[in-house]
This record gives sequence, structure tokens and C-alpha cells, in this order.
Amino acid sequence: MRQRGRARFGQWVNRRIPPAREITLNQRRIFIFPSRVGFFFGLCLLVMLMVAINFENNLSYALTFLLATLFLVATLHTYANLSGLTIRALRAQPTFAGQQSEFHIMVERSKQRDHYGLHIKWPQSTESLANLTEDDRVNIQLHMLVTNRGWFNPGRLLIESTYPLGLLRTWSWIDLDLHALVYPRPLASLELPGLATDTPDGAAAMVSGNDDFFGFRNYQKGDSLRQVHWKGLAKGQGMQTKQYTAYADRSVWLDWDLFAGLGTEQRLSQLCYWVLAFDSQKEEYGLRLPGLVIEPALGEKHRDRVLKALALFGKEDRPL
Amino acid sequence: MNIQQQVPRNALVWIFICLFALVAPHAARLPVWVLVVYVIAFVWRLQVHRGRWSFPGSWVKVAMTFSASLGIYLSYGTLIGLEPTVALLLTAFALKLIELSQRKDAYVLLFLGYFICVTEFLFSQDILITLLSVVNVTLVTTALVALHQPGEHQFNRGTIKLASTMLLQAVPLMLVVFFVFPRFGPLWTVPIKSHTAKTGMSDHMKPGDVASLSQSGDVAFRVKFEGEIPPKSELYWRGLVFSRLRQDVWSGLGFYEVPLSERRPSEVSTSGNPLSYSIIMEPTQQNWLYGLHYARSNSPGVMQSSDFRLFSPGPLESENMYSVNSWLSASADESLSDWRRKAETKLPPLGNLKTRELARELRSGVSSDEEFVDAILARFNVEPYVYTLRPGALSGDNQIDQFLFQSQRGFCEHFASAFVFMMRSAGVPARVVAGYQGGEINPVNKTVIVHQFDAHAWAEVWIEGKGWVRVDPTGAVSPDRIEWGLEEAMQAEGSFLAAAPLSALRFRNVPLLNMLRLRYDAITYRWQSWVVGFDRERQFDLLQRFFGGVSTQIFATILLGSWVLVLVPVAISLFRKKDTHPVSRWDKQYLIFCGRMAKLGLVRAPGETPGQFAQRAVAALPVYAKELEQITRQYNAIAYTKVDGSGGSMGEALGRFTRAVNRFKPARRRGVIDETVSS
Repeated sequence: MRQRGRARFGQWVNRRIPPAREITLNQRRIFIFPSRVGFFFGLCLLVMLMVAINFENNLSYALTFLLATLFLVATLHTYANLSGLTIRALRAQPTFAGQQSEFHIMVERSKQRDHYGLHIKWPQSTESLANLTEDDRVNIQLHMLVTNRGWFNPGRLLIESTYPLGLLRTWSWIDLDLHALVYPRPLASLELPGLATDTPDGAAAMVSGNDDFFGFRNYQKGDSLRQVHWKGLAKGQGMQTKQYTAYADRSVWLDWDLFAGLGTEQRLSQLCYWVLAFDSQKEEYGLRLPGLVIEPALGEKHRDRVLKALALFGKEDRPL
Repeated sequence: MNIQQQVPRNALVWIFICLFALVAPHAARLPVWVLVVYVIAFVWRLQVHRGRWSFPGSWVKVAMTFSASLGIYLSYGTLIGLEPTVALLLTAFALKLIELSQRKDAYVLLFLGYFICVTEFLFSQDILITLLSVVNVTLVTTALVALHQPGEHQFNRGTIKLASTMLLQAVPLMLVVFFVFPRFGPLWTVPIKSHTAKTGMSDHMKPGDVASLSQSGDVAFRVKFEGEIPPKSELYWRGLVFSRLRQDVWSGLGFYEVPLSERRPSEVSTSGNPLSYSIIMEPTQQNWLYGLHYARSNSPGVMQSSDFRLFSPGPLESENMYSVNSWLSASADESLSDWRRKAETKLPPLGNLKTRELARELRSGVSSDEEFVDAILARFNVEPYVYTLRPGALSGDNQIDQFLFQSQRGFCEHFASAFVFMMRSAGVPARVVAGYQGGEINPVNKTVIVHQFDAHAWAEVWIEGKGWVRVDPTGAVSPDRIEWGLEEAMQAEGSFLAAAPLSALRFRNVPLLNMLRLRYDAITYRWQSWVVGFDRERQFDLLQRFFGGVSTQIFATILLGSWVLVLVPVAISLFRKKDTHPVSRWDKQYLIFCGRMAKLGLVRAPGETPGQFAQRAVAALPVYAKELEQITRQYNAIAYTKVDGSGGSMGEALGRFTRAVNRFKPARRRGVIDETVSS
């Protein structure tokens, strides 16, 4: 029942304030109600009225009524503090699941007045407090913990204020249509499994060569004995094979199938880790996911493309 | 601490101002230590703000609260009653300031501030107090606004401007609610003021009482006559009737001392048109009211006693307005009951034998009571009696003997008392009446202002066939007192308001000051009759006159109608589209600069950048090259890079720029400029 009510309410808000990248607050979008302080003030007024009645004191009446009317007039002034504000979605910093995503929005003032004490936040985000007095617009960064990969929608942005008297709270929930891309949480793994020379069927991810030492891995049948790390064996570290990468063909394939036996999210997390590892070592790498192949390359753009592919694997991309 | 819960520095400054502004009107009523608490609270909180001291711990707070309550109890002897309660509130206000750290503390503090403004009115509804309260309410509201301007650390004039604007917008609607809101009686009995600060007459009279009252220039009441104002010598404002003498103290008969059958005033036949007037009395904490003989009132809450006084059932805690009809020539108590005759001739069994002797002697020499009165008055007139505010103290027994035969110096109460004593010694019913005599006529609004120094005591004698007749023995000694008032009568002695050297009344001979005083008094009268004296009756009249009746529908219509009438214009003024882009502070300064240049004939062309304009200006006025370049450089730095070239904050840069513009006043050296422009 409660959930249905909430869903209904969501629909109603959606109709009233449809998502948009830029929203100017007007009477359709601003809500106002006495704040808790306002109710306390009302209680104080009641006590003052009692004093006026019991002492039959006309000026006490007058002051009580003045403050009560001030309350009424304050509704307009409180409302005006939000009215005419334009909120614009700037961008959302892509991030990894389990980290804080950074959202950038801009608040621009109306031409009519100064705006004070604007509290801006998403339900789960950090809160930002802004005044618009000297400047016409202000950029705001909000941080929010994201847990799941894919496009993250922070929900409706709450912008509220109690200026000027604190007796009333005025607010608006706006959907800025701002989505953050969330990459899988990178999961470190000691080694890249199934390392083999490039095979046509794509079983191996890494091309091994003789030029550049890369690392160790457990000896597997068929490894060249020249590459066995004998010194380590002598120290009792077990049979390990030295891995080399070839200068001639340094491209590495990060393949979905390398992590057979793991769950989807775990595979993606480990792939993500290796993407970052290769990227920081300036090694070319490519990605093979079921139904998607990204040719090996290097650079920021490539990395973002690969990470985005990981983030959205099995999920719907959102139309831009 | 969450930033939104902090109290901005700006708000703290306003709260400090509120602290002292709120206590100021109460200060005179408070024990001195409460004011010391205020100073301590201020210093403490200031030091906390500066990081020198810390907030009090919870034990310290408990100790402070407890000792404050104890202090109030010790100072007032009780915690119940209006004064101790208000003192407690005010102390709580100061203590709350010490622990003010978060916004929610500030709300409590400021709402308490509003409440303190309300309590001030319970003591006085004077115009000046009202004006002071308006200022205080504005200050509290300003602090409330400043509380919601986070990060504003500069003093901001806009804060008080917004607070005043909102209050002004609230005033029209407040007035409507004030006049329309139904007035009903008290819901329960409330703590009343302690009767320590009584002014005016007291319920008994001993020699010296009235004379000390005459040292006060306070207003006792104001009277507005519907027709002509009678001559001053007729204005005997009866307040108290003293029928009993006991140990040289005259006092009235208590309500229950009068037998049931005598409590109702006897019928008085009235003829002719009465004198109609209304009186607004200042609060006295007593319950008697004043009126001219013979007075009747239709105002609610005004009652008449068997000795034809007017009184109110409860003490007058605040200004009280009532209207009276008086028939000056009506005779009261044409026949006297036995009980009353006995009560009004009763004397102590012993004492003042010489006076009794004298009375009997004088009575036996005349044939009627009226002649007897004349004989005594003649004696007062012929013998060397002196009417004086400094009669010297009488002591011991036989005070009337001492006065009549030895000192022969006295104020009105001495003469009235001696006169009534002599009357009663001869068996003539007589009593002392206390009240006020005369008054000052305010030419501005034709009201009679009766001051405390108009306090007077005279006598009433019962004469067969005439009833109670007023006799004023003072008039026989000092006719000036009755004709002109106390000031004239005391001119030679110089004792008029000797204890109040700064009273405005002492400057009545300075025409300008006197005019101001009377004008202010006229405003006070209007204030009291319209605002302070507004009650159910007046409300009914008002609604009847404007809306033809009183009903729930009419109340609702008026309220809703006025909401719309007030809120719509406010909304329009708030949301009206302003086409012009608001001019920033630096643009404003630059425009001032351009204005000054325009006066010299150098008008900035549309689209011309400040740099281009400066080049052109320097070419025309090479004398000012340095200033022109400096101003332009500073403007560009602020407006385009929003940072100052020399480092430092935006505010500082703006300040420097403003000063540079202000210093630049080329028009003063016109000669130089004319030359350069024309060349």
C-alpha cells in the first residue's frame, strides 16, 4: 500500500516536473509548507495570544497579530527565494562502483533578487549550501556513493531553503536527467589466467614474447623450459614461468573467457582491474566481450571506451 | 558541526544588539544583578566567538540556572507574579545567549525575544514604549533573517531592510485582525503586578500624604468633555471619601463595614442636561475612579458606592477608559439614615480637646450649620494660616490641636481634616473627600490633563434640605490654589515640583517646549482612546458603522478580503518582472565614474570598452592619466577576472576600487579641464 502510494506520488511528480537538463523553478515546481520551527513559532504565538487575552492588553494583541501576519507575508518571501532559479545539469564524473561519483550542476539566479541559503542535495548525496548574491551563477559539486555499474541515476535533486525567517520550508524535487556512468569495481587478481600466445579462436588474452620481462605465472604444460624461473624453483617457490612481452606485438587481449568459472560481475571487475593495469603501464590492450570486440589500442579515449563497455555489459545504454 | 546549523557571524552581531535593546525598556524594573548577568553573558559569548573561552559545561549551566532562579526569589520574595516572571524570562534570555551555538538555540532565543516584547506591554502601553518595541521587534526579525544568510560575514544593510519591509507589509493585515478579532474576557486569572509601585491616592490619608503626591508631575488621568469645559474652580474630581478618623489617619469605610441596607446608593433626583465627559485613567493598581459630583456612568465595569464614588471591581492594571454624566447641582442624600448620620459624626473618644472646645464655642455663636461652616472658613481666612507644601512635621497626640493653634501651617489635608473634625465635634455630619482639583487644559485637543500634583483633599458637609455640600477650607486660605492651581499658589515658596527639576512641566514658561509637551499629550490621548482603550464596545460600534453588523460571516469576509488585498500587492511587488539586469556593485561604481566624465564632456560611446574609453580620456585629460588608468585597470581586474591583481579578496578589491572612484572628482578643478578639453 505504502509502496503503491510512493509510486503514485512519483508518477504525479514526474508529470508535474518532467525530467530535463535545465529547469527553471516556477509555481508548478515549488512546494511550500511551514517548517518545524514554524510550528514552534505558531505555538509561541498561541502563548502570546493567551497573554493578550488574559491581560486584556491591546498592544499585546497587536504584536501577536503582527507576528502572525509576518508569518503569512513570509510565505511569499520564502517562496520567492526559490522562484526564478535555473538549475542546469553540467556533467557527472564517471567513477568505479563503490566510490564517490561527482556530479556537477549549475545554479543560476533570477534577475530579480538575491538568493540565500539554498540547500541542494540528492537523497543520498552530500549536501551543498549556496548563496547567490555577488555572482549570477554558481557551480556545485555533489558527491554520492555508487554501488552498481551501469548508468546511475541519482534520482530527484532536492533544492530547499527556509530563508528568510526559517518559519517556512520551500523546496522542489527536480530530475535533471543527469546520469553517471559507473564502471565495475576493479578487483585485483595476481595474474591474468590462461595466458597464451595469440590464438585464432581468441582463447588467449596475452601475447607472450621474448623481449620484455613482464611477470611470473605458474608453470603450465607446454611452457618453454627456457622460460622456467629456475632460481625461484631452487628457493622452493614452485615451478614458475617467466613471462615476456614482445615489442613487435605488444597488444594484449582482455577476454571474457579468460575468467571462466567466475560470475559475470566478478569477471567484469577483474577485467576492469587489468584494463587499469595495462593503461597505467602504457600497454596496448583490446577487449573481447560476448558480442563486442574492441581492437587493441592505447590512450584515455580507448580506456574510457573499454571501461564504458564493461560498465554497460548486459545493460541497456541510455539514449543520449 | 554541520554548516547549515551554524550561527553566522552577522546574525550573532544582531543577536548581541537585540540582547541590550530588549532589556533596555525593562531595566528600571529589574534588580541590578540581572543587568550584570547581561554584561557577563555578552562578554562570555563574545569571548567564545573569538575562541578565547569555551561554552559552559552542563554543570555550570545547571548552577547558573539555579542561582538565577534563587536570585529572582531573593530579590522579589516570590517567583509568582508578573515582575518576577518577566525578570526570570529576561535572565533566561541572557543565559541562553551564553550557550548559543547552533541555529536551533538561536530560534529559541529570538522567539523568547518576541515574547519579551509582549511582556513589556503589560507594564506600559505608552507611545514611547510602543515605538521602542517596534524597534525591538525589527531587530529580532533582522537577527532571524541574518540567521538564514549563511556565509554572510560582512555587515549587510539588506538584512535590516528586508526585515523592515516584511514587517511593513504585515502591518495593514495586522490592523485588520486587530480591529476584527473578537475580544473576550480573561480565560483565567493571571498573575497581577505586585503593588509596590503604586502612584496616586492611597486608601487612607494622614497629614503629609497629599503633599508628597504633589511632588509628582505624572499624569493621573485625562478628561474629554463633550461640551464646554467648566471653570477650573468647579473641577473637583471625587475619588475617595474618608469617613473614619482613627489615630490621626482618615480612611474610608470598607465595603463590608457598610450594612447591607446601606450599600446601595440612594436615589438622586437629577434635572437638566448633565455634563458629559470621558476619562482615561493611567493604571493605578487601585480600584477607585474619579468623577465630578454627582457622577453616573454607563460604562461596563464602573460601579457606584453608597457615598457616590465611582469604582471598578478590580484594580486598574492598565489604562482604563470610561464615560461619565455629572449633574453638578444635584443634591445627594437629601435625607440621612441613622446609621450614616452616626458614621459621619463619629470621632475618637479622646484627643484634640482644644479643637472640640473651639468647635462647640463657634457653633453656639451661630444659628445654623451653614453659618457654622462660614464661621470656621472665616477663622481660617482671618487667622494667620499658611497654605504650604512644607508645613513641617506634626508628631504625637493632638495633631489637629497642634496644627490649629500652634504651627498654623498646612497643606490641603490639614485644613480639610481640621475642618471635618470641628464639624463633627459640633455634631454636624461631615467627611473628608480626596481626589484631584482642577487640571490643565490642553488647547491642542481640548482635553483636561489632571496631574498628580493636582491631588487635593476637601470636605463635604451634610446640610438639612441640601444633602451633601462641598466645602473647601483650602480655598479660604489660598484662593489661588482653586482658581489657578498649585503652581501659582506655590510661586512664592518655589516648592512646585521641587523634587523633579527636569520635569517637562517645569518648562511651561518656554513656549516651544510647552507646545511640544501639549502636542505630545494630545497624541497620547488619541493613542489611549483608540488603541489602548479599544474594547468590545468600541469594536462593536466600529463594525456596526462600517459593515452594518457583527456576524461570523462578516468576520470571515473581512479577514479573507484583507488577506487578498494585502498579499496580492506584496506578491506583485516580489514577482514583477524587472527587465533591467541588476547592476553589480563594481558596475555601479564604474557608472558613477562615467557620469563624472560625462560632466566634463567625455561621454562613453555605446560599445566602447573601458580600455578604449580610458585611452580617449587620457588623450583629452592628460593631467588625470594616472587616476584614469588606475580606475580602468581596477575595474577590468574585478569585472573580468574576478580577482584582484595584487592578490587579496574580492571584497578588498571592490573597496579599493570604490575609494579610487570616490577620490576621483575632476570637476573641482574646472579651470584645468576646460583648458584641456578645448585645446
